[in-house]
Amino acid sequence: MRRFAILVVLVAVAPLVLRYPELETQILTFGLLAVAFNLLLGEMGFLSFGQATFNGVGAYIAARALLDAHAPLPIALLGALLAGGAAAALVGALAITGRGVYGVMLTFAFNEMAYFIAFQWRSVTGGDDGLRGIPRPDVFGISLDDATRYYYFTALVVLLAFAAVLRIVDSPFGAVLRAIRENEGRARAIGFRVRRFKIAAFALSGALSGLAGGLYAELFHFVPLQAIDLDTSTNIVIAALLGGIGSPYGALLGAAIFTVLSNSLSHVWAHWPLIFGLVFCAVVLFFRTGLWGITERWSRRAAHA
Amino acid sequence: MLHTRSLTKRFGAHSAVDAVDLEIRPGTLHAIIGPNGAGKTTLFNLLSGELQPSAGTIVFGDRDVTRLDATSRSQLGMGRSFQRTNVFPKLTAFENVRLAAQSRTGDSFALWRRAASLDGANARAESVLAEFGLLDSRARLAGELAGGDQRLLELAITLATDPVLLLLDEPSQGLSPQDAQRLIDRIGTLSARYTIVLIEHNMPLVMRLAGEITVMNFGRVLARGTPDAIRANADVRAAYLGKHVSP
Repeated sequence: MRRFAILVVLVAVAPLVLRYPELETQILTFGLLAVAFNLLLGEMGFLSFGQATFNGVGAYIAARALLDAHAPLPIALLGALLAGGAAAALVGALAITGRGVYGVMLTFAFNEMAYFIAFQWRSVTGGDDGLRGIPRPDVFGISLDDATRYYYFTALVVLLAFAAVLRIVDSPFGAVLRAIRENEGRARAIGFRVRRFKIAAFALSGALSGLAGGLYAELFHFVPLQAIDLDTSTNIVIAALLGGIGSPYGALLGAAIFTVLSNSLSHVWAHWPLIFGLVFCAVVLFFRTGLWGITERWSRRAAHA
Repeated sequence: MLHTRSLTKRFGAHSAVDAVDLEIRPGTLHAIIGPNGAGKTTLFNLLSGELQPSAGTIVFGDRDVTRLDATSRSQLGMGRSFQRTNVFPKLTAFENVRLAAQSRTGDSFALWRRAASLDGANARAESVLAEFGLLDSRARLAGELAGGDQRLLELAITLATDPVLLLLDEPSQGLSPQDAQRLIDRIGTLSARYTIVLIEHNMPLVMRLAGEITVMNFGRVLARGTPDAIRANADVRAAYLGKHVSP
C-alpha cells in the first residue's frame, strides 16, 4: 500500500519536474506493456516474445474506432482492451501447446504473422506509413488536447490497471499462476486445469497490452507499424528483465529507465543500444532480480541498520 | 473402491504393466511390492492418470475413469503423492498446502478476492500442516526444508486436496531411519481414515502396515494376499522376498 502511494505521488508530480509530458506518457504506456508481460513471465513463468501483437491490435482497434465511428475515448479504449485480450487468448491457446522454448517461439511466430498482416492490410492499418490523424476526443466534456492533461488521463487509466494487477497477483488466481510456474505437473496433479489458467493469464496480459496500445494511439495521433513489430516485443522483454520480474513494480521501473535512456541517449549517440546492451548484460548476469531487486535489498538493509 | 481389469501399458514391444487386475477394497491399506522394474510406478501412473493405458479399464467407485486425465481424477478424490519429492519449491510450505486446499474451493478464478481471505482453504492448510508437525516451518520455502520435512510436505499437499483414496509412491524413499519412522507413524494414522494404495520397498514397513499385498514381477501380478500369506508364498520368496524378510 505504501509503495502504491509513493507511485501515485511520483506519477502526479512527474510533469512538474520533467517537462516532457509526451515522454512521461510514453513511460506509462510502455510501463503497462512491461507489467502485462511480467504477469506472464514473473508470475506464471511463461516468456512471451510476442507482446507487441496485443499492443498493436489494441492501437489499431482504438484508432479505427476513433477515426471511423467517432467513438468516445473510453469506448475506444474498452475496445482496445477487449481486442487485445481476445487476440492474446487465441495466441495463448495455441502457444501453450508448445513445450518450453517451443512455446516462446510460437509467440514470436504469431507476432511475425500479425506484423505482416498489419503491413499488408493498408486500408485498415496504413501499412508502413502508419495511421495518422487519430483524434483525441474530450472525455466527459473535458478537453485532453493539452499534452499534460493527456498525461494525467493516461496516468489515471494506467494506475487503475496497475492496481488491478497488484490485486490479481494477490488473488487465488495469482497463486495458481505461481504454482504453475513452480511445478506445472504438480499443479495438475492437485486438480488445477492448468490450460484454462494459462489462457486466462494470456487474456489478461493481452487486455492490458491492448489498453496500452489504445492509449498510445492518441498520444501522437499516430499508430506506427512499429507498434506491432518484433523490436517492440524485444524492448518489452528487455525493460521487464532490467527492472526485475519479481514484482510488477520492477517492470514499471525497467520501462521508465528504458524509455528515458532510449530517448536521451539516441540524441547523444546513434549507437546507444550498444551501451544499453552492456547494461542489460550486466543486470542479467550479475543482478538476476533486476534493478527492483537491488532497491529492495537496499531498503531491507536500511531497515535493519 | 478401485478396480482395474486387464490393465496394460506397452512401451513399444515391452509391456511395463501386463494385464493387471487389482481390487482395492474401501478402508484397506493395500501395498504393491516387487523388485525394481516390476512396473509398480508405471501402474501408479496409470492409476493416477499421468499415463494412459494401452488396454484395460480402471473403475473408481462406480465410475470408469480410464480416459480421464490426472486433474479430473484428482478432483474425483484420488490423491497421489510422488516418489521424487514434488513440491512448489519457491513457495512457502503454507502456500504449498493452501494451494492444494484451494483447488477444492472453486474460487481459483476469483481475480478480485485475496488468497489470504479464503478462510476455508487457509483453515484446511493450517490443520493439515499441524497434523504433519510442520506448522513451525509454515513460512519457509518448500525447497529449503530438510529432506524429511519435504517428504512430509509432499504428503500434506496430497492430503489437503481432501482425497478419499491415497496413492502413495514410495513415501519413505531417501529418508534417514528416524525420518522414515516418523513417516511410517504418520501413514499408520492415516490408514485409519483413508483407503491407501502404497508402493514401498521398506519391507518391515509393508509387513506391519498393509492389510493386503499385491506382488508384481515383470509387469504382472505374481501373488496377492495378506502379509502372512505373502510371506509364506514360495514364488514370491523365489522372486523377491527371500533376501529381505527373515521367516
